[in-house]
Amino acid sequence: MGWYYLGGITMFFFIVQVVTGVLLLMYFQPGEATAYESIRFLTTKVPFGWLIRSVHSWSAHLMIISLVLHMFSTMMLKAYRPPRELTWVSGYILFLLTLGFGFSGYLLPWNKLAFFATTVGTNIVRSVPLIGDWLLQVLRGGQDVTINTLYRFFAAHVVILPLAFVGVISLHLLFIQRQGMALPISAKVAPRGMKFFPSFALRDVLLWLACLMLLVTLAVFLPYGPGIPGMDWELGSKADAMAPAYAGIKPEWYFLWEYQLLKEFPPHFFGLEGPQVCLLLITVLLAIWAIIPWLDQRARRDKPSPAFSDFGWAAILFLTYLTLMGWDIGASGPGNDLALVHRSARVCASWTLVAGAVVIAIRYWRFEHRWFVLTGAALLQMALHGFVGVSYLLAGVISVVIAAIAITASYFMRSRADEKGGI
Amino acid sequence: MEEQTRIASDSKTSRRDFLDLLLGATILGWLASIAYPVIRYLKPLPQSGTTGPTRLTREETAKLEQNKFVIVPVSGQRVIVLQSQDQKLLAFSAKCTHEGCTVSYLPGQSIIWCPCHDGRYDLNGRVLSGPPPQPLPEYAVQRQPDGGIVISEGRA
Repeated sequence: MGWYYLGGITMFFFIVQVVTGVLLLMYFQPGEATAYESIRFLTTKVPFGWLIRSVHSWSAHLMIISLVLHMFSTMMLKAYRPPRELTWVSGYILFLLTLGFGFSGYLLPWNKLAFFATTVGTNIVRSVPLIGDWLLQVLRGGQDVTINTLYRFFAAHVVILPLAFVGVISLHLLFIQRQGMALPISAKVAPRGMKFFPSFALRDVLLWLACLMLLVTLAVFLPYGPGIPGMDWELGSKADAMAPAYAGIKPEWYFLWEYQLLKEFPPHFFGLEGPQVCLLLITVLLAIWAIIPWLDQRARRDKPSPAFSDFGWAAILFLTYLTLMGWDIGASGPGNDLALVHRSARVCASWTLVAGAVVIAIRYWRFEHRWFVLTGAALLQMALHGFVGVSYLLAGVISVVIAAIAITASYFMRSRADEKGGI
Repeated sequence: MEEQTRIASDSKTSRRDFLDLLLGATILGWLASIAYPVIRYLKPLPQSGTTGPTRLTREETAKLEQNKFVIVPVSGQRVIVLQSQDQKLLAFSAKCTHEGCTVSYLPGQSIIWCPCHDGRYDLNGRVLSGPPPQPLPEYAVQRQPDGGIVISEGRA
């Protein structure tokens, strides 16, 4: 199955990151008067400097794409079942570290986009109770984003995160080597195993070669990215703390959902500030994601757990809708700002609803799933927000309440059916 | 005899408990003595630099006249100085109260705007729309007899 190769592909892109990162280090000079200038020198004067930076940037994005696909495929195949819970947790930590790599590396060119992305990204930690302000100062090296922030991010990007990543990935690989690949729940009998070396490793190498070809082609023909917001690494102008943020400023594509969620929260919510509640919600969602192996009790007993497949698809639809809105899909044409926001929500809801319907159809007919409460709730929220014009949060609350009622009702109906069956 | 053995056993247990406690406290103290310097080292020193009223340089004044707004440092903080349509000079913290992006002034709409999450403020610093939870703190602006513009902390 193709899904089994995604972890290896992610590791391949990580190796490319290490190699190109070391090459970039030979020219990069962190400093107020040198960081931006050294990257400009690297891309304009150094032979193939542009290519090394382009490969590093493309590989970073491809690594995140393959990592996200790897994580969701692991989730859908329930490969986190015992005894592989810690493989899931170590993979989850690697996912967070990779996001940390992306975020810290973003600031290093010291350009305007990096400056504001880091300002917003670091400011979020201010909402952490009790230690928020301390954490913010430790991250930034001061109250505001300055060159001190770049020094700290540089240390994190080239030393702290790589060391942590190598440590955790060693554990992740050790678990996989000791426990072998997980079989799908539906597989009653283990298929004839393939030796890791040389059979699986050679297949991996072949795939890595294909990935290298793809990476080099993209890096050569699109050296500054595909040009879509959040996937664009033109150097632009140098960071200037006294310059205003500019229109259309966006974070990297994999942070767009969070950026959009921050936008959807009102200034105040149940006596707390909007960003605080938003951070709380994100933390709760990430915590749930980390402990899925223990929550999915049916999978723990090797029984199919369509509810958790549904949870995975609901998460994908939730992220897709926010990301599309963060991209301002459909927000063009005549009309005032509010009209454009509504139009964008409608267009994004239409796309996501179509995608959701296709997913449900495939799951229904191909995999014979009959549990769609959470994907239904996610789609209902989009429909209420995009078509009816209900606020994003209210639409979310309505959908969650309906889903909770549906789950409770189905639980009681099943219990009653079991009782009757028992009699 | 039995009583004596019981007391001896009790005292033995309590001695062991005491030593365990001592050992635990020593380990905790040892860890704290390592962690504390690192934590203090990571927290940056308070910002140093000029404080008090700031006079706009000639370049900044020219920028203000050209763009109808300029962002200047005042006591280590970013401050937006703007000229409203009725030629009034106003100054506010340039840090959006939502996520700290630097705001700009849209003279055509007479609003202060943060492009990061589309926060909008009126010319009193109050939130008009978007996610900012607080108004922008105001700064005092004074035009001096020689034409210079001085910004200081506190309301006008």
